Amino acid sequence: MRMFATIAKLLVKRVLTAIPILLLVSALLFCILRILPVDPAAMSLPPNATVQEVEAMRTEMGLNLPLYQQYGIWLNKLFHGDIGRSIHFRQDVTSLIGSTLPATIELALIAMVVATVFGLAGGLFLFYVRGTRAEAVMDFLSILLLSLPEFLWSLFLLLIFGVFFEVLPFTGRLSPGFERPVVTGFLLLDSLITGKISTFLNALQHMILPCLALGIALSPSLMRVLRSSLLDVYQDDYIQQARLRGLSEKRILIRHGLKNAILPTLSLMGVQFGFLFGGTLLVEIIYSYPGMGNLMVDAIRNADLPIIQGAGLTYCIAVLVISIVVDSLYMILNPKLRAR
Amino acid sequence: MTFEIDRRNLLQMLGLAAVSGSVLSQANFAFAQGADNVTIGWPSDVPSWDPNLRFVPDAQPLFKMVFDQPLDQSPDLKLIGNLITKWELKPDGLSMPFEIRSDVKFHNGDPMTMEDFKYTFVDRIKSGLKLDIANSWRTLTDIEILSPTSGVMKFSAPTPTAPQWLAFLGSYLVPKKYIESVGPEEFAKKPVGTGPYKLVDYQMNSRIVFERNDDYFGTKPKIKRVTIDIIKDPSARTAAIQSGQVDLTVNIPVREAERLGKTEGLTAEINPFTRLILLQMRNDKGFTDMAVRLAAHHAIDKAALSKAFYGGAAVPLSVPATPGTPGYLPDYKFAYDPELSKKLLADAGYTADKPATFTLAATNGQFPSDFDIARALVQMWQKVGLKVELQQIEYSKYFELNRGGQLPEATLYSFDNATGDPEIFSGYLMNPKMPFGAWKGPEIGDKILKLFVEPVYEKRIAGYKAVAQEAVETGANIPILQSVQTLVKKKSLNYVKYGNAWVLGSTMSWS
Repeated sequence: MRMFATIAKLLVKRVLTAIPILLLVSALLFCILRILPVDPAAMSLPPNATVQEVEAMRTEMGLNLPLYQQYGIWLNKLFHGDIGRSIHFRQDVTSLIGSTLPATIELALIAMVVATVFGLAGGLFLFYVRGTRAEAVMDFLSILLLSLPEFLWSLFLLLIFGVFFEVLPFTGRLSPGFERPVVTGFLLLDSLITGKISTFLNALQHMILPCLALGIALSPSLMRVLRSSLLDVYQDDYIQQARLRGLSEKRILIRHGLKNAILPTLSLMGVQFGFLFGGTLLVEIIYSYPGMGNLMVDAIRNADLPIIQGAGLTYCIAVLVISIVVDSLYMILNPKLRAR
Repeated sequence: MTFEIDRRNLLQMLGLAAVSGSVLSQANFAFAQGADNVTIGWPSDVPSWDPNLRFVPDAQPLFKMVFDQPLDQSPDLKLIGNLITKWELKPDGLSMPFEIRSDVKFHNGDPMTMEDFKYTFVDRIKSGLKLDIANSWRTLTDIEILSPTSGVMKFSAPTPTAPQWLAFLGSYLVPKKYIESVGPEEFAKKPVGTGPYKLVDYQMNSRIVFERNDDYFGTKPKIKRVTIDIIKDPSARTAAIQSGQVDLTVNIPVREAERLGKTEGLTAEINPFTRLILLQMRNDKGFTDMAVRLAAHHAIDKAALSKAFYGGAAVPLSVPATPGTPGYLPDYKFAYDPELSKKLLADAGYTADKPATFTLAATNGQFPSDFDIARALVQMWQKVGLKVELQQIEYSKYFELNRGGQLPEATLYSFDNATGDPEIFSGYLMNPKMPFGAWKGPEIGDKILKLFVEPVYEKRIAGYKAVAQEAVETGANIPILQSVQTLVKKKSLNYVKYGNAWVLGSTMSWS
């Protein structure tokens, strides 16, 4: 009970702290985008619009008002749930983000699972082979993995599994011929809710390559942090005591070493999840994945400021939520923090 | 420490492998080729399924699946009847009587009427909705309905290209009754047109699925289901056609197209189309002197650029029009002559110590090899003694810079004109009141403005030919190449090639 109360207290505190952060980020986003040398009024009209029409549009969009007034109007609308209207698509930004966000969340979550599995398994293996020749090989491999960005992994995996072996699909979320169930927007979940197992499996196949590309790129840092945490933990007396008690190395590693070494890795995972969200931009383009990253690239190309602002704010909220979740997990796993 | 694989670990690993295998074994993802299906890898999506909303040239072949335009174009770009069967622009260019078909139905079964025409081109625009076609039909004041199948378009000023615009960007007929009952937002979600296909599934930035409209008034398409995979990345499009995940794709790098053309079962084409690659020129700053502009033009080896960046398939141009279009001058050639460039510069008083200088702006990635072409141009100019600074700009900035008069002396630019009409080539590029071109010189500008209201077709075309040649000979415009579209497809897939690079699922069939 005490643990839940402590976590609830932390949650309230973090949510309250998140509000000024969000306000600051929104102000920064707004100002930076207004300073950019692009004209949203001109972008919202066809090329053959006259100078007068562009001026009229500028007035209509409030772009001739002082910056603080523009921000005030935007913030007021934001509080009423109106992020604005896309210049390029001429649709509400809320509905555009709402229709693309589930795909990105699904992608990011599964990619995080991939990164975690690879990261933890790799970290344990690196620790396991410490002092052997295999350690040098694994070190080299982890640096190699770390030095390749997500989009290169995307192209590499696509060529290997999509073109060379032809075993995995790499365009979109489903193969042609599969009907897309629409309930929550989370395709895997929707296909399970509607009982379409073949759709679920097909969607899963389509997620393998983008999730691997995102996950593999993140896993080396997790591996290395876990390995060094384990090395630190193994200097502690309780490990020696566990050995003296006759526990097997495997049991010591899982029950005692990993449990204590996982905490820094968990913190890193929280930070990495934010990067992973950013990494979806190019990965979604390469795999024709209809998520928010793809939408964001469109928005940048068309100088669609309302979408860029809305998506930027959404990314910020996602990072804050993840950070709160990680902090809560940290609290659950670390009794010292609860005691403070 | 040693590794131990005990029985439990082995069983766990086998279990994992079995699960992975079962997922992969379902991998019948490559859509089987069949007479009734085709999958196309397309580089961009529609901005909205309201076809009147935004002008996006690459989206036109997608819109044409669901919607019809009043007039259409044949593969060689001649105007042909479609929803409109007869039309005649009056000699003063102020009105255009027309007749429509009586046997056309929208996908929801509603018959197409003259009311739909009036709604699409007049009422919907006047209602205040922000539609791009409002800009192309500025001079249209009304459509007078004479009978259920005949009417008259009335213009506030002579509109000589009204027929061309009826087959151009955004001019798609939309259903009045349906839109009024469901509203524009719902219409964009569930579009209803008169076109050869119905939209059955759409996922933004990923996939579009069309199914044949069996009640189509025109030639019934052979393929029942057309799937468009939106694949924005050229490498992914190349991989998709190579692995058989799509049956046809476009706009992949020329070298990749040439490589895939040698692959068994595939065929590749590099097709020039109605898009120009040109230099937009200013008439002031470092380009005040005509000799410098002409020297810059004579120094460009267009054939070498075509060979280096487009496998030699991009046609070198001497006028701002593409071969086969009405404004093209097949017998006119502007010479590549670096020695003449040097002489022009020397005669104008420029020396190695006092070289002519100017800035070239170019986009990077807006069209294939754009920045590479710009770099090559700078080198060619250096060889004749021109000192040029290269500046990279975003495409989204082009119009803003141009409106503010802030473009540098030369800008590398590509300009698309699916109609092929010279008004939309030379006219738009040289009209000082429009934001497309940087040239604001009155000599050519005045002539262009007169041609904009010239209703007699032959006179208009002759006028544009003369002004195009004059623009080139005075250095007001430097046309470089005709752009190309690369296309790779399965050998057994047939399609109709259009001069404006339309790739229409409705023309496809398997052999």
